[in-house]
Parts: sequence; structure tokens; C-alpha cells
Amino acid sequence: MNPIDDDTLQAYVDGELDASDAARIDAALAHDDVLARRVRQARAVRARLRAAFDPVLDEPVPVRLSALLQPPSAQSTTPATSPVTLAGGHGATHRRWFVPGAALAASVALLAVAFWWWQPGGDLVRMQGGQSFAAGALTHALDKALASEPDAHAAVAIGLSFRSNDGRICRTFVLRTPPARAGLACHESAGWALPVLSAVTAPEGGELRQAASALPPEVQAAVDARLRGNVFDARQERAARDAGWR
Amino acid sequence: MNSSDAVREGLIPLLPRLRRLARALAGQVADADDLVQIVLERALARAAQWQPDAALDKWVFAIARNAWRDELRARGRSQHLFAPEEVGEMAADRASAQPAQQLELAMALAALPPDHREVVALVLVEGLSYGEAAELLDVPVGTVTSRLARARATLQAHLGKDT
Repeated sequence: MNPIDDDTLQAYVDGELDASDAARIDAALAHDDVLARRVRQARAVRARLRAAFDPVLDEPVPVRLSALLQPPSAQSTTPATSPVTLAGGHGATHRRWFVPGAALAASVALLAVAFWWWQPGGDLVRMQGGQSFAAGALTHALDKALASEPDAHAAVAIGLSFRSNDGRICRTFVLRTPPARAGLACHESAGWALPVLSAVTAPEGGELRQAASALPPEVQAAVDARLRGNVFDARQERAARDAGWR
Repeated sequence: MNSSDAVREGLIPLLPRLRRLARALAGQVADADDLVQIVLERALARAAQWQPDAALDKWVFAIARNAWRDELRARGRSQHLFAPEEVGEMAADRASAQPAQQLELAMALAALPPDHREVVALVLVEGLSYGEAAELLDVPVGTVTSRLARARATLQAHLGKDT
């Protein structure tokens, strides 16, 4: 009988052999101690992985994940998504607004954020023709920063970049400086238009790390409404920057 | 029901498996759940691309695998997801009755190149067939087989003779 190579033995262990090949190995196992040990070892690796990772199936799913799959109507009662936290955030409770009239609270918060932005000296946003545009450091980040080269210390974190269904290139961003805000910017001849910007609640002592993961529902909805095809990968993002976001 | 609702509702029962796959790919609990969050956002944003006759689990697992690769690239660590000093934290943040064994396994997984680790996660942890994994990764079945065999050899070498 031919020696059994590693690929065949592995296929046997993983249940990938057809019945006749499997029966051939079954028969060989009875009198081949070396083969039997190889099978035991291959099975043990699989068993050890299952023992390590299967318990994840029984863990409670964090609210910040399950909340993303709530119907849009339910999402409006939880106006702020819990942003991604650094390691150690596991199991942390995220602040949510369990108050009656949460939608009203959300509107107030949005107004407050908008007011803060448009104050003199809040130079990250300018108004032009009734539309808000990025200014100052926000413009600089949208023009230059790449999500594929994140800077943990930058005040502006760039998330997704994609070509909108109206042909403009749009980018999501998060302002890390408190109070944290997230928004969507779309490039046009007058600059980076800001169709949406919104407050982000951070957990106590938490940090915003993944701009793409900290999108409030309003911003996510604005992305969903515009996204056609895929978001840019690192190469496409760089190419778009080099082409002036046109 | 439109495709967005179908995907959203279909993903709910898949969350535990998605978290398990992410844990096997990313290691640390916090990193893995960050990955799941990115995957859910992408899946919802691309719901229109899902064909209802395609299995939603394979579709979203493919998104997870690609998102994990994107994260690796973004971190500039194409070979290893974690620096060696992080592996200890990875084991520490798991509630485990056998921390030494978990650390050993975490270090063994961290030693795998991404090509091998994703095959281990899909076949040995998630339980996909070689053919399903090959389709998801868009490689021939023989490539899955050989990567898995080499990954197993690496894991066995790290995990010692008793395994």
C-alpha cells in the first residue's frame, strides 16, 4: 500500500475524502501506529481550535454590534452609536440615551453641535450659499489624509472613501477632539460639502479609533444613500487623492 | 422586503458565528469586535449586491475576510497581526481556565502568515469545506489544501507533541 501523504491524511481528518478512500485509511489505521498518531495529531489541532473559539458562540453579543442590525425605525431611538474603543473596551457599558423622547434629545444635540460648529472661531466649517463646507484643518485632512495611513494623534480621522452615485467623491470623517463629531464630506468645485455631521458619544475614557466604525446612524444613512459600488481600497484612495478627488 | 432588510435580518442569527470567525482572524476580543462592526457596516452598505440565492453566511464571511486583510494592510503588518508583546495581552483578555494553553495557541496562530491563518479560521474554526473556502477565497481547492497542511504543521510544531 502506498504511503499516505499529508494532504490525504488531512482530508481524511477533515471529512473531505470520499467513502472508498476514507475506508482505505480506516483499514490502514488498524495496523499502522505511525499513521494513527498522525491522525490523532491532526485531529487534536482542530479540536484545540474548536475548544478555544467555540465558546465565542455562547458569549452575549455586544449591544454596539446587535444595535447595527436593528430596523431603521428602532435605530432612531438610539441616536448615537457607541464608537469603537481600544482594547479593554470589551464588556464596557456604552452610554445610551434611554430617555423618553430620545428623538427630541437627538435633535437638540444635533442643533447644539451645529451651533458649536458655526460659531465664530469654530473654523472647521464655513457657510456658502446656504450649504456648509469644510474649512481649516478639516479641509486639510480631507485633502491630504489617507485612511490607509492612519495617524492616531491627528485631530481628524478619515474613514471610508467612495464615489457617490452623483459622481462626487465622498469621505467619512471623525473629529476626535471632544465633543467628538462625525460627518460625511463630498468633494465639489467649491470645496468639501458637508451634507451631514453629527455628535458621537464616546464611552467614559474611551477613544475613537476607527473612523469607519464610529459612524452615527445619520452619517451611515447618508453613506448608504450615496454609495454605489465598493468603498475605495488603499490603492484607489491614494489614486483619488493624487487626482485631486475629482 | 427589500434587499437591505433581508440582509439586516439575515445577519442577526449569524452574529455569533461572525464573532467567532473574527476572533479566529484577529485574535483580541476588542480587535475582533471592531472587525465585526466594520463587516456589518460594509454588509449593510452593500446589501444591494447580495444575491438572495447566494448563502448570506458565505457572503458576509467573504466581507469579513476582506475587511481583515484591509485592516492588516492599514496596520502595515503584512506578516503578523500582532507584535509579540501584544500576544500576551491577547491571551490575558480571554477569560480562560487555562491561560497557559491559550497563550500557547495565541502565539501559534500569530506565527501563521495571513494566507494560512484565514484558511485555519474558515475550515478548522468555522467548519467550511475545502471547496467552500476555496470559493470564498477565490483560489483553487488545491491551494486551500496545501495552505491548510502547512498551517497545521506550523500549529503542531508550536503546540508540542501532545497535540
